[in-house]
Amino acid sequence: MTAAAKHSQAMHFQARAGEKVRNPVLQRALQKAKPLFVGKRAKGMAALADDALDFETLRTACEAIRNRTLADLDVWLDIFEERAKATGAEVLWARDGEEVGRLVVEIARRHGVTKATKSKSMLSEEAHLNEALAEAGIRPVETDLGEYIVQLAGEAPSHIIAPAVHKTIEEVEALFAREHGRPIETRTSADIPDMTREAREVLRQHFLTAEMGISGANFLIAETGTAALVTNEGNGRMVTTLPKVHVVVTGIEKIVPTFEDFATLMRMLPRSATGQSISNYVSLLTGTKREGDHDGPEKTVFILVDNGRAGLLGSPYQDMLRCIRCGACMNHCPVYFSLGGHAYGWVYPGPMGSVLTPLYTGIENALDLPHASTGCNQCGSVCPVRIPLPRLMHRLREEQVERGLRPWSERLALKAWAWLAGRPALYRWMTRRAVRYLNWLADDDGRIRILGMAPGWTAGRDLPVASGRTFNELYKARKRA
Amino acid sequence: MRLALYVTCLVDLMRPSVGFAALRLLEEAGCEVIVPEGQTCCGQPAWSAGERGLAADLAKKAIAELEAFDHVVIPSGSCADQVRNIYPQLFANDPDWGPRARSLAGRTYELTSFLVDVLKISAVPGAFEGSVTYHDSCKGLRGLGIKRQPRDLLSRVPGLALKEMGECEECCGFGGAFSVKFGDVSTRIVDRKCESIAAAAADAVVGGDLGCLMNIEGRLRRRGDETTRVLHIAEVLAGGDA
Repeated sequence: MTAAAKHSQAMHFQARAGEKVRNPVLQRALQKAKPLFVGKRAKGMAALADDALDFETLRTACEAIRNRTLADLDVWLDIFEERAKATGAEVLWARDGEEVGRLVVEIARRHGVTKATKSKSMLSEEAHLNEALAEAGIRPVETDLGEYIVQLAGEAPSHIIAPAVHKTIEEVEALFAREHGRPIETRTSADIPDMTREAREVLRQHFLTAEMGISGANFLIAETGTAALVTNEGNGRMVTTLPKVHVVVTGIEKIVPTFEDFATLMRMLPRSATGQSISNYVSLLTGTKREGDHDGPEKTVFILVDNGRAGLLGSPYQDMLRCIRCGACMNHCPVYFSLGGHAYGWVYPGPMGSVLTPLYTGIENALDLPHASTGCNQCGSVCPVRIPLPRLMHRLREEQVERGLRPWSERLALKAWAWLAGRPALYRWMTRRAVRYLNWLADDDGRIRILGMAPGWTAGRDLPVASGRTFNELYKARKRA
Repeated sequence: MRLALYVTCLVDLMRPSVGFAALRLLEEAGCEVIVPEGQTCCGQPAWSAGERGLAADLAKKAIAELEAFDHVVIPSGSCADQVRNIYPQLFANDPDWGPRARSLAGRTYELTSFLVDVLKISAVPGAFEGSVTYHDSCKGLRGLGIKRQPRDLLSRVPGLALKEMGECEECCGFGGAFSVKFGDVSTRIVDRKCESIAAAAADAVVGGDLGCLMNIEGRLRRRGDETTRVLHIAEVLAGGDA
């Protein structure tokens, strides 16, 4: 079992999904969020017309940039390393999450770090970096507001760009009251600015006292050795410029060749995520503090992480490496918005998670996820880099079959059905009996309310059945008449 | 022109009236329609489950019995998507079946698309007194680009008023085996669809895929809605007792 698999709860998807659909507080939070995500993105994409652009053209360009990068990933990484080193940064490589933890702790120890501020990084969730730091006696402080909330709650993010989307305002208020040492008040959305200010005051002290800042990177620009950070709260700037040490932890696939490529992708990323034409902050971080600079770290370290990524190159799943982590797929996913992100059991939820979790933690450790999709392709049609998410989930289903990982009862049922469907005469004979049986099971109004062979269906809905005759036999009778 | 009507296994078993309605629409439009005797299932359930071998067996059977016709018409976006988009994928590298799959794919149509895009019909036999709201099924919409065709046809039905529901392009939560494997998640999704339908306050909800319609009807009734009719678009267009 890989290190990543140890932390995965993806095998409990079915049970967790059942709990999540029955949690009214969670359902309320999700109901509220979905139309906001969908509406804002739609507006943002429509506004592309102001720049004489359209979604399909732009995403073709973005897809091409990402494919060009992946075709020569090793070369772009070498170039990045060389250019980043030339600007005074250190570049380290990590094979997996455990190695990330080891490297970050070593750097922290070398610089006498007791506290590290963090801006949002999903890769640090893959690496369980906060746990590694805490074990080494270093306090990690999440400074993205959503991350701050889930850290207070002792939870993992449930969405890759909105980590606390599963929380209601009442839940956040209870956490703040506890952490900030004050009584609970009644809050409405009008109080959000006040609550945010309260969090800022607490975080400000951490920004000023942390010796190390840890961030991810939305992109790594090879030609200049630059990390690009796309944020809305300004915490990213505090984390990357105030402490004397800045560590960037990011995946090897985040690289783009040139600044111009970055600019093209930036037209797409914020729009896909939040509908913004550009995020409130775009930080381009190159090298260390130079002479005459007012701020910036004295030490910059890039940790470039594999953790399963290189293995996807040249595989049927390579398209997945194009992902720019915008969250649009989950924002448009009916399954995600029925459950929230925690049901998926590992770092990445929604359609991209249903592909990545099996690939990064082992196909045998996430059997439900590739099936947790209606195949509606709402994800694939909004993906800014045209990742065929349903096709990748489908390929994972095939691989489960090839490796003998499906339940024998399911395989037998499908085999029996296919065998029968290949023998039309027998099929006719059987289906005629089957529809009569269904008709007999139905109540007088033509509905089956409990069906033993598909309890999952009738637990939530009736099964409407017709007259008890197949089309085939009715058609034959009509032709005879 | 001589065409094959592929009624689909769900219509054959669960709602034969859809097959007869499709037949009437095509015949009234002047087509010579054959319902190939040996048809069973296009193989989509096997394909969706990842059983490539079983899906290929059933695809070969369907290709062999349908390829002699000028066109194949299917009253389902989902099954039409299987033939148009998946069959060529299944046999992409097969020198024998590949060309046959691609040829059939190019001549296979979902019913409303065939009526509008190929036959370009201007009148339909049916009439409907009341309002309907249309649910866009995922495979038809996103797999085949079917959006305007059903609306075009509904606008030609005397007496019918179209009341669009909110989020008409949202999945209903059916997804074939998904609705059985993850019944409670599927129920949660179809609940939202039922809310959109209720808000549209139409006399009937209409769609082009029986799977989605059974899911929607089953949930509407379980929620206590006994009045909103759930109809396949073929039934509305063909009218009365097709």
